[in-house]
This record gives sequence, C-alpha cells and structure tokens, in this order.
Amino acid sequence: MPDIEPFSPRGMFHEGWTAEVSDYAIACGWALKGKQFIVGDVSGGIFAFEGDTGKIIWKKENTHSGGLLAMAIHPEGEIFATSGQDGNVQICNCHEGKVIKTLDLGKGWVEHLKWSNDGLFLAIASSKKVYVFNEIGEEKWISEDHPSTVSAITWSNKNELATACYGRVTFFDIVNNKTNQKLEWQGSLVSMELSPDGDIVACGSQDNSVHFWRRSTGMDAEMTGYPGKPSHLSFDDSGKLLATSGSERVTVWSFIGNGPEGTMPGELCHHTEPISSLAFSNKGMLVASGSRDGSVVASFLKKDGNGDPVGAAFAGDLVGAISWRPDDCALAAVNAKGVVNVWKFKVRTNLFSKGFKEK
Amino acid sequence: MSIKDKVPVTILTGFLGSGKTTLLNRILSEEHGKRIAVIENEYGEVGIDQGLVINADEEVFEMSNGCICCTVRGDLIRVLGNLMKRRDKFDYVLVETTGLADPGPVAQTFFMDEEISSEFTLDGIVTLVDAAHIDQQLGRSDESSEQVAFADVLVLNKTDLVSDDALDTLESRLRDMNRMTRIIRAENAKVPIETVLNLSAFDLDQILKRRPTFLEPEYPFEWTGVYDLDTGKYELMLEEGPDPEMSLVALAKQGESEEELKDGAESSVRLYAEKANTLEPGNTIPYGEHINLKLEDKGNKSFILNIEKPTKIGLFTQHTAEEFNMKVIKSDENKEIPFNTERFWQAEHEHDDEVGSIAIERFGDVDPEKLNTWMGRLLSEKGVDIFRTKGFISYSGNPRRIVFQGVHMLFTAQPDKEWGNEPRRNQLVFIGRNLNEEEMQEGFDKCLI
Repeated sequence: MPDIEPFSPRGMFHEGWTAEVSDYAIACGWALKGKQFIVGDVSGGIFAFEGDTGKIIWKKENTHSGGLLAMAIHPEGEIFATSGQDGNVQICNCHEGKVIKTLDLGKGWVEHLKWSNDGLFLAIASSKKVYVFNEIGEEKWISEDHPSTVSAITWSNKNELATACYGRVTFFDIVNNKTNQKLEWQGSLVSMELSPDGDIVACGSQDNSVHFWRRSTGMDAEMTGYPGKPSHLSFDDSGKLLATSGSERVTVWSFIGNGPEGTMPGELCHHTEPISSLAFSNKGMLVASGSRDGSVVASFLKKDGNGDPVGAAFAGDLVGAISWRPDDCALAAVNAKGVVNVWKFKVRTNLFSKGFKEK
Repeated sequence: MSIKDKVPVTILTGFLGSGKTTLLNRILSEEHGKRIAVIENEYGEVGIDQGLVINADEEVFEMSNGCICCTVRGDLIRVLGNLMKRRDKFDYVLVETTGLADPGPVAQTFFMDEEISSEFTLDGIVTLVDAAHIDQQLGRSDESSEQVAFADVLVLNKTDLVSDDALDTLESRLRDMNRMTRIIRAENAKVPIETVLNLSAFDLDQILKRRPTFLEPEYPFEWTGVYDLDTGKYELMLEEGPDPEMSLVALAKQGESEEELKDGAESSVRLYAEKANTLEPGNTIPYGEHINLKLEDKGNKSFILNIEKPTKIGLFTQHTAEEFNMKVIKSDENKEIPFNTERFWQAEHEHDDEVGSIAIERFGDVDPEKLNTWMGRLLSEKGVDIFRTKGFISYSGNPRRIVFQGVHMLFTAQPDKEWGNEPRRNQLVFIGRNLNEEEMQEGFDKCLI
C-alpha cells in the first residue's frame, strides 16, 4: 500500500468517474474515438466502460488461462487484441467484446502486441519469435528465433517492425521479408520506443541505463545514472523529448540542438516511489506519470526537458497503466487493486492552451 | 516494504538426475499451508503435480560492463515480474534450475533488479547432490562445484546407493568446499520440509547453533602429546602408518593446560609454515623445528630425543599417534613412557578442490569505514571468485550487530538484534575459489579497532 495520504484531484485534474475490475489492472486504452475505455486485468478479465460516465458496457473473465499479458487497441478503435500465458491472441470487437479470431501461437507466453499505425498489421511477440498478422487474423510474416525472448516491439513505419531483445534491436521489412538494420549492443534491453519519425531508437536497459541510436547517422549513446531500470519510455509527438522511468523521478532527455549527449536531463520530482507508468499526451509537451505510490501527475515541459506540474491526482495504489483520451481532455489510470480512475483534464488559463483545447 | 512482507524464494539446484523434481513434488504434495508458485527451467522428465507452475527457458543476461557479478537471469525477471502482480495467489516461490545452471546469476537477480528485490527475498539455495555420482561430477564441471559452493542446504540424495564410509568421505569433501552449508542425507529426496523452506538461510546464528565448531581454526597437525621426561636418551618409535612420512614439531617446556596447549599450537603453526628438515630413522629430533620423519622402511623406525634436563616435551604431529602406533621409549630401560596429556586438533586436510571456505572470527569492534574500504577492494578484486559471504560484524558505536550477506561482489549489510550482554565479536565466512586465507585474515585484522 502507498505511504502517501489520499488527496483530491488538483490543478487541471477534475473528478471524473471510477470503476473496478476484478484483479490487478495491467493494460488499458481508449476505443471508439474516446467513447469507450477498455481495461484488462492480470487474471484475464476484460472490461469496457462508457468513456464519459464509466458505466459498464460489457465484461468478460478468464479470457486467457494463466492470465492476461498484453492488450492493444486498433488505431481506428473498432477492434482490439489481447494475449496471454496460454499462448493465444484474441482479436475482438470493441462494441460487444466478441472474439473475431483466436490465434494459437503455441505454449510460450505472448507478451507484446502492437498494431501498425495504419492498422493493417498486428505484430505479436511470443518467446523468441515475432509474428505479423493482418486485421482479420491472417498470418503475414514470422521472424526467425531471436537470441533471447523478445522484450519489446514497435512499428517504425507501415511495413517496418523493430524488435528488441538481449543484445540488439532489429528492423524487419515484413512485406519483403528482409532485415533492414541491426543495432547491436551487449545488454539486456527491457523497453523500446521510437521517435515518431522513426529515426531515434531509445531502449531502457537492465543495467539501469537508457541506450539510444539515431538510425540516420548510426550514432549511439548511453545515458547512465539511473537507480533502477528504465522500463517505461515515452516520446512526445514532436520527437524532441523522451521521458523515462527508472526512479521516483521522471527523467526527460531533450533532443533539441546537439542533445541529449552532454546535456543534463530535465527531472520531475513529484513522486515518492518509482515511476510505474508514463505517457505523453497525444499532442503537446505534456507528460503524465504514475507511480508505485499511487500518485498521478501531469507536467508541462519546456524544451530542455524541465517542467512544472499542472495537475495531480491519487489513484489509490500502484499505477499499472495510464492513458490519455484521444482528445487529451481526460486521463485514465488503472491500479494494482483493480481500480479505474478517469479524471477530466481541463485548462483553466490560456497559458497552456496550445495543443489541447477546453471542452 | 519490510522483509516480512516480501515473498520468500527458494532456489533448487543440482545436476540432472539428482532428484530435484522428486523433491519438488514432495514439497508440493506435503501439507504445509503454503501456496507455492514454481518456476521451472528443467522440464520433461517428471511432471509436476500442481497449479501454479511456470516454465521458462534459462536466459542469462550479461551486462555491457562485462562484470559477471551483474549477470542476471532474464527469464526470472520476466516471470517474477508477472508473479508480483498476482500476490494474492501464492505466498512462496520455488525456482528449479537446470542441472547446468550457474547459481550466481540466479541469486544475483534478487540483489540486482530493484523491482524484484522490492517484492521478493532470497530465502535459501538448496542443492541436491547424487551421492553416487557427485565425486565424478565435481571433477568434471565447474557448475557442480559452484552449486555446492552456493548451497545453504546440501541434500546428499540417493544415499541408499552408497556405503556409509563413502558417504562420510563425500560429506567431508563437500564440507571442505562449503563450511557453512547444512548437509542432509536423504533417500529418494525424502527430507523434512522445514529443512529446505523458510530457512532464513542468511541467519548465521542458525548455522552456529547447528555446528558450533565450524569457525574453529584448522591446524596443520592433528594431535599433540605432552610427555614428562627425565634427563636421558629416548626413542620415538613408529610403525607403518597411512603415509610414508610425517611432519612433526617437538617443543620443550610444553605446559598441559588448554591455554598452554593453544600457545604451543600457535608456535607450531608458525614452525609448520617453514620448510621441513627431513630426518632418517636414527637421526636426532631437534626442538622447535619443523621436521619430516621418513617412514618408508618396513617395521619399527626410531628417532632419537635427547633430554639434557627434566622437562615436558610437546609433540605436535601431523597424524595421530595411534595411526603409526607411535611410542616414546626410554632407551636404557627399554620402557615406554606414556603421554601425560593428549589433545586432538581440527586437522587441516588437503584441500583438493579449488572451491573452499574461509572463516574469520575475531572479538572486538571494527571501524565501519575501514571495513567498507577493505570489503570493497576485496570484492572488486576477488568478487568473481567469491561465491558467497555471510556473517555478522560488530561496528564500533552501533548497539546492534550488523548482518552481512553477499553473492559475488554484491552484498548487503543490515542492522540486526542488539548485542546486549553478549561479547562483541565478528564472524565472517567466505566461500570461493582459490581464496588466500592468510591475506584475507590480515586484511580483516587491519579493520579492527
């Protein structure tokens, strides 16, 4: 249990709605253009709520025997995929939660799911392999075995998939079945994010550092000094700021100018325990962070990565995941006790109006 | 989160066929009121009959700094990372490693990864040993000796296949390699569950309760006899024994109290450190020198002891008198003179194995800063070869004793109970490969106040 006292939403956060799911909530996301909010819990319960009111629309339990591991909502927001310890992936429709297609990938855990930005492909990581299926669940591509279990996947453009594992990041052209690039570095990469233009590859590493590469120049750098491993990374929509976890602070690297090499990162010190989730708003330099202590803070950042908190709220327990509504006018947080909180996020002054407008 | 709220984890190691899965099933089927989650690296052979079993392939992740002490097990981080979200489902974790697993990275995972160490605590390492095959395995692979070295508990399994004598020999070999382990003999992995779970294995008090002498120093000799001798010529007579030669130190004016015997032993240890002079039968034994008696010939062999004025002679012999049927005879009377007192010592045997234990025990307080500097340097230079460190320390000015535990170069020092009326002292055990005992003791002594 968190050591901090509960508090009411502050600053730009305002009471919205709360709800509960059956177990530790590990994944969440907005569907149907913000009209629906879907939450997955660790034991395999999936719950869909009305985005504005929190009223339950549908729910289902035990979707994956052994438990749920990942969930990804299609960019159009009409369908979503889930995966679990049973080695299965289910593609479901958001309106009723009905399973459209079940993919059986064998006995390994299926830990990562990512839709491509145009929604044509679903990338799936299970043990040492990565699979690509289309929207209707037809297999399009399978990778060879990676040197270790794949720890992160992400799309760099519509046909190119990046995978991270122990010792390397690999870029695959999945349409022409070829390897476009390999970035090698001896270390266990635990997380990966790409800048929106796909040029900067950032990885959190088990040895408590962030390693990044610029694909265009091949230059790489290692940012050390984290007390813990940076499991959570988030780029802002311009690709200039990278927010990272790894301690109770949010460490923000700025890629403006010659940075971040040789620069000091911005540091946001608003939590008492390590960061457990991070998300930039869909537009603008606003980052939300959730902590093991149950607090959620939104900070408005400057170009150098420093910034000020503009709102805070208490989620009750370790924040398992956070998600900005597509219009950035609400933020959702789900916690280790299965509690769902959605706060309205409203600008009170004109000062921060750039990028998200008052409703 | 305090240590009480953390989920204890037991690691089961041992070569393929040593009986790990049998032990695992035994633990799981017993009524102990625990809900145990099992992480299994080795599967196929025998199935596990229980609900929460997770299979994972062993993934050893080395870090870019090349430090083997930072090497962790990626599979465990992944699986435990998931388990920590399901804490309402279990309250104990058992990790069954493959026969070839290096226990270092497994243990290090619980120190190195902050997310894991905040939720789990390493309770103990249990190594199963196949009594019939371990002798060969120890010779062939580093993994098996490392599994022995890391063990808090060694289950000497399949004892029904081996003679009692062979078991004794094996046990003393294993004991040499790891002096702090608890050895349990078992048939078909049948051991009481409390000997493998909830060990709080890092509690040195427990070890001392079981084996109060394990910190006693070892001597290069096994036996001392003190003889009260008048002026005259004597013969030291020996028959055939286990060795074609034997080392000996003879001290004049040797007292018989425990304190005097220990003083004599200390002097002898120093003399034993010098090169021995070899004596043929018939030669005269000098006093206060390390000598080596040649005993190759058949039958009785005699060496001469000359006594110029009455004194008590202490003979510090490499083996016991009994082994060579050793006697002191007064030459002119041809009469055996029995010893007045004898004392057996914990003998230092040949350490054939590279892996061994070093114990340091000193009364008094240490200077925390000096100790930190010394330990820091020791572990950074020798961390690769030091598998385990355990012990407690008396920091000057601190009313509590400080408990140390470490794996390779990682260690934690935590305040424990108050000293109260107990004499303040320091006890440390290092288990590792090719460790230099003298150097380490000297280093430690410099930290004492």
